[in-house]
Amino acid sequence: MIKTVFFTAISLIFFYIIWINNFFAHKEKYEMPAQYARIAEDVKSYAREGKQLFEQNCQACHSVRYDSVYISAVQANPKLKTLQEKYGKVLPKDVYEGVFNEDLMALKESFGKVPPDLSTIYLVKGKEYLFNFTLEPQKVLPGTSMPAVMTGRPEETAKIVAYLKSVSEPTPEEKSKRVLMGIGTIAYLVVMGILIWLWKGKILKRMGLH
Amino acid sequence: MLGRLGRWIDERAHLSELWQSQMVDYKVPKNLTFPYAFGIMALVAFAIQVISGIFLTMYYQPDVNKAFDSVNYTIMKEVPFMWLIRQVHAAGANFFLAVVYLHIFTGIYYNAYKKPRELTWIVGWLIYFVLLTTALTGYLLPWGQLSYWGMVVTAEIPTSIDSAPIIGKLKIGETISLWMKGGYEIGQITLGRFFGLHIWLLPLILLLLVGIHLYLVRAAGISNPEGREIDKKKEGVPFHPYITLKEGAYVMGYLAVFFFFVFFHMSHFLPADNYDPADPFKTPAHIAPEWYLLAYYTIFRSIPDKFLGFVAFNLSLLFLLLLPFLDFSPLKSARNRPLFFVMFVVLVISSMALTVLGTMPPTPTNAILGLLFTGGLFAFFLSLPLISIIEWGWYKARGGEKR
Ligand code: HEC
Ligand code: HEM
Repeated sequence: MIKTVFFTAISLIFFYIIWINNFFAHKEKYEMPAQYARIAEDVKSYAREGKQLFEQNCQACHSVRYDSVYISAVQANPKLKTLQEKYGKVLPKDVYEGVFNEDLMALKESFGKVPPDLSTIYLVKGKEYLFNFTLEPQKVLPGTSMPAVMTGRPEETAKIVAYLKSVSEPTPEEKSKRVLMGIGTIAYLVVMGILIWLWKGKILKRMGLH
Repeated sequence: MLGRLGRWIDERAHLSELWQSQMVDYKVPKNLTFPYAFGIMALVAFAIQVISGIFLTMYYQPDVNKAFDSVNYTIMKEVPFMWLIRQVHAAGANFFLAVVYLHIFTGIYYNAYKKPRELTWIVGWLIYFVLLTTALTGYLLPWGQLSYWGMVVTAEIPTSIDSAPIIGKLKIGETISLWMKGGYEIGQITLGRFFGLHIWLLPLILLLLVGIHLYLVRAAGISNPEGREIDKKKEGVPFHPYITLKEGAYVMGYLAVFFFFVFFHMSHFLPADNYDPADPFKTPAHIAPEWYLLAYYTIFRSIPDKFLGFVAFNLSLLFLLLLPFLDFSPLKSARNRPLFFVMFVVLVISSMALTVLGTMPPTPTNAILGLLFTGGLFAFFLSLPLISIIEWGWYKARGGEKR
């Protein structure tokens, strides 16, 4: 009995640490004022405005390919439309980088590297990092070649973050659908498990095995 | 109508006889504990990987320019419900390995590797080894930063052979490393090879090994928590419905936990850094292997000499394989073996601590702790022959009485 408790407890603690919350591992933490965090979270109200702000402030350098948003130089190129008719709105990466190589290289010339595509950046960095980095790139990543374009505009920055979130994550409706699906699946399995257990007891009693 | 069709088939295929002989007349001890269900759970986990994996191949593209988008755009955003399939596959790989680890530790605890089950143990070890390579090859496929850099680090490991005296001159390590990558760097060739290995060769080998493993389990009969062979005529209960229902209920519980993670907690199984596309010019800040390899990684990392570190972690794998021969005591099951029980606890704590240490930065204190727990791990294996000799003494003193 003591052994069972011991082995169960130690296994649960182990998996809790490595799968859920590893308090030994080192993590960087960035802070974000609550009022802006609320804006960045609220995809429904701000993502659309955020997209416009993105087009004004970031699109000169960054694409968001998964939302068929390409850098301004490409966006102005008539070839884009022809390619989109052939490949769909989201161009394959090699087609995009091949055809518009010159435009991308021009950026590389100025900044030392091609500014990254931001389609999945929200999932990689999270809202706190994005907010702080966009507002003050030098402070977060000393020596970076990204210029500070949003200085003194925290609210608009938060809206851009909301836009990036909307590209990376499923829509709020889709999210709540998934939550329902999850709860349904788990409930089904739990109920089935209990029924099988009860049925087992009954059958074994009838067989005289219990 | 359906019943007649069933009878028609049965008269020709004799399926009900097969069922009767294999499932009902097959008797097992009644006192099997909960951990015996880990075997069935591993089988379920395997089925989940194969089914979800087959669906993934319909949209996944093994091309360095397309792989990342095919996973993160086509699969995660474009095709309905493929996000679910990917989450099942990614969480499934972790659950599969977790269950296999629990299954291995159960086998060690009850000494299920002893005569007449040595072969079952050896085949089980092969399954474990092939499973590790399957997971390793699969992890490269999404072509994210962790996929790429994890493999860079992994492919470096064999080169530590070359720092050894004399044999280092042969550059065996470098050859192995080149052979793993398919060239001097990780690129299209690597991805193509890993794809083929991951979806065809390794799963087929696994299937074969799992088949042999199950046959051997049947052939030798299931072990017993009490450590003695049962007289099946008197004490056994029919496999069906006794075990099928009991473990069926456990499997439902297992799946409930599994789907909790699939729907609500994927952040560990699809880590944030792997949403960044692979970039050979940008080294990420923290590169560590997946958790199921961390214990070996910590052993490798804690030992100051690279070659010795390489030898040590391979030795721990080898000792696991040779367990039935290290432990030649006549007694079976930790329930009857106090000395063995103590060393088993040392093993469990050491391997867990080594895994957790692998997630931590390599500070000097951590290196010392790593050495300490590496010692614990080896102490378990090396104490087995001693314990066996002592237990032979007890056994003889009791006049060879069976327990
Ligand atoms: C004048 C060009 C330019 C503009 C405009 C620009 N960026 Fe950047 N951005 C860059 C460059 C260059 C980098 C690469 C910096 C590096 O890796 O050092 C970068 C990197 C980034 C990164 C990645 C940071 C990291 O840690 O890897 C993010 C996020 C980002 N930019 C967001 C934005 C947002 C949001 C805007 C609009 C408000 C924006 N950028 C506007 C040039 C630009
Ligand atoms: C047998 C045990 C298996 C294990 C342990 C395993 C493990 C993995 C892992 C860890 C990944 C990376 C997941 C991610 O980060 O997205 C992966 C990806 C993948 N696997 Fe498997 N796999 C197994 C079987 C299979 C089989 C049988 C197939 C196909 C027939 C398959 C097809 C794929 C494909 C196409 C991918 C890439 C898509 C993706 O990354 O999500 N797998 N696998």
